[in-house]
Amino acid sequence: MEARPHILIVDDSADVTGALRVLFEETGNDVSVANTIRDAVAVADARIIDVMLLDLTLPDGDGLSVLATMRARATEPRVTAALTGRAEPEIAARCTAAGCRAVLVKPVPIAELLRRVREWTA
Amino acid sequence: MSPKHRGQGWQRADSVSYNSPMHPVDSTTTAEHRVLQLEEALNEAAQINAELQSRDALKTQFLANISHDLRTPLTAIITHAEILRDGILGPLSEKQRDSVASIIGGGRQLLEAVGEILTYARGAANQLTVSPSEFHITAVVAQVAALNEPLVVKKGLSISVDVTPGVPPLVADREQVTHVVSNLLGNAIAFTPSGGRVWVAVTTRGDRGTTQVQVEVGDTGIGIAPEHHDLVFREFAQVDPSPSRRHHGTGLGLTIARRLVELNGGRIWLESQLGEGSRFYFTLPVGDPR
Repeated sequence: MEARPHILIVDDSADVTGALRVLFEETGNDVSVANTIRDAVAVADARIIDVMLLDLTLPDGDGLSVLATMRARATEPRVTAALTGRAEPEIAARCTAAGCRAVLVKPVPIAELLRRVREWTA
Repeated sequence: MSPKHRGQGWQRADSVSYNSPMHPVDSTTTAEHRVLQLEEALNEAAQINAELQSRDALKTQFLANISHDLRTPLTAIITHAEILRDGILGPLSEKQRDSVASIIGGGRQLLEAVGEILTYARGAANQLTVSPSEFHITAVVAQVAALNEPLVVKKGLSISVDVTPGVPPLVADREQVTHVVSNLLGNAIAFTPSGGRVWVAVTTRGDRGTTQVQVEVGDTGIGIAPEHHDLVFREFAQVDPSPSRRHHGTGLGLTIARRLVELNGGRIWLESQLGEGSRFYFTLPVGDPR
């Protein structure tokens, strides 16, 4: 049997991670959740992440900094998508420069989110 | 100008009058006293002004924070409701689906209002920046009209889009211009009763040696009395709160629209009479193709 894709959701809101966990678990993925940069790095140390959905504002710093840390430890996810509150061009540019494949504005319609994640994990 | 400088200005003016034979010598004391009083009043006014500015900045920050804090639970509500609606947790009856669809609709509406408050707060704090790119206004108008089509049909209205051929491209912030068109068309639809008509017309006009693109968004709706024309662009002001509330307005839409148009070098105004519909216009300068 083919392994289920592993999704890491990084967001400091338990309400948001709870909703996304249900969405991805119920559609055939394994899900990990991290509320801080430190936790996200620890999850990626422990297993291979296919897709990371990354909030930009985390309690212990700028969400995007997690990418550089993971890169240095060779634990960077295959695909990272930023989840932001607003789609401002300067934010989008910062995300792309940091290595994000996509910048998605919360709340992302679930049909779109599932379509993107399926595409990335195909 | 500092209060001290203004105080010196008053002193000079007085020194002219008490040298005049028309004024007795003992008026010097009175004049000096008045100058002191004025200086004190000016100092006080400057202090109050500084305090008000600082409170205004706090209010703006508060609005930005509250908007962010509202978006997070709304994101969770909408995502959970969409999971239910799409049957990811099992099939729903038609009534259950309708109910969940209402939760999503209400949630998205709230999200839009929160977004508007945030845009307003950023505008008030001069934190809105323009990211210009070259685009055709006709594409923006067509996109916004298409998005509003279902609402137009639902309300029993008709919509038309009229574009003068050969309108040149603009260099402006496309997202902000889209927001303005969307706001004006949304208002036109909201304030026009069933059976009415809304339209968008795009033309080119020359204005003091420059070429401008002009967008008109009109309707056959309830209209606005001329004495209220300035009021509609003022923040939190509502000409008549009752219909506005019926249409779920934050009272900020046109304030934001004006700010965005002006940020992009344009102008916005309206022509309307009570009961005779409204025509909102805005212009934007045409980009230099070089």
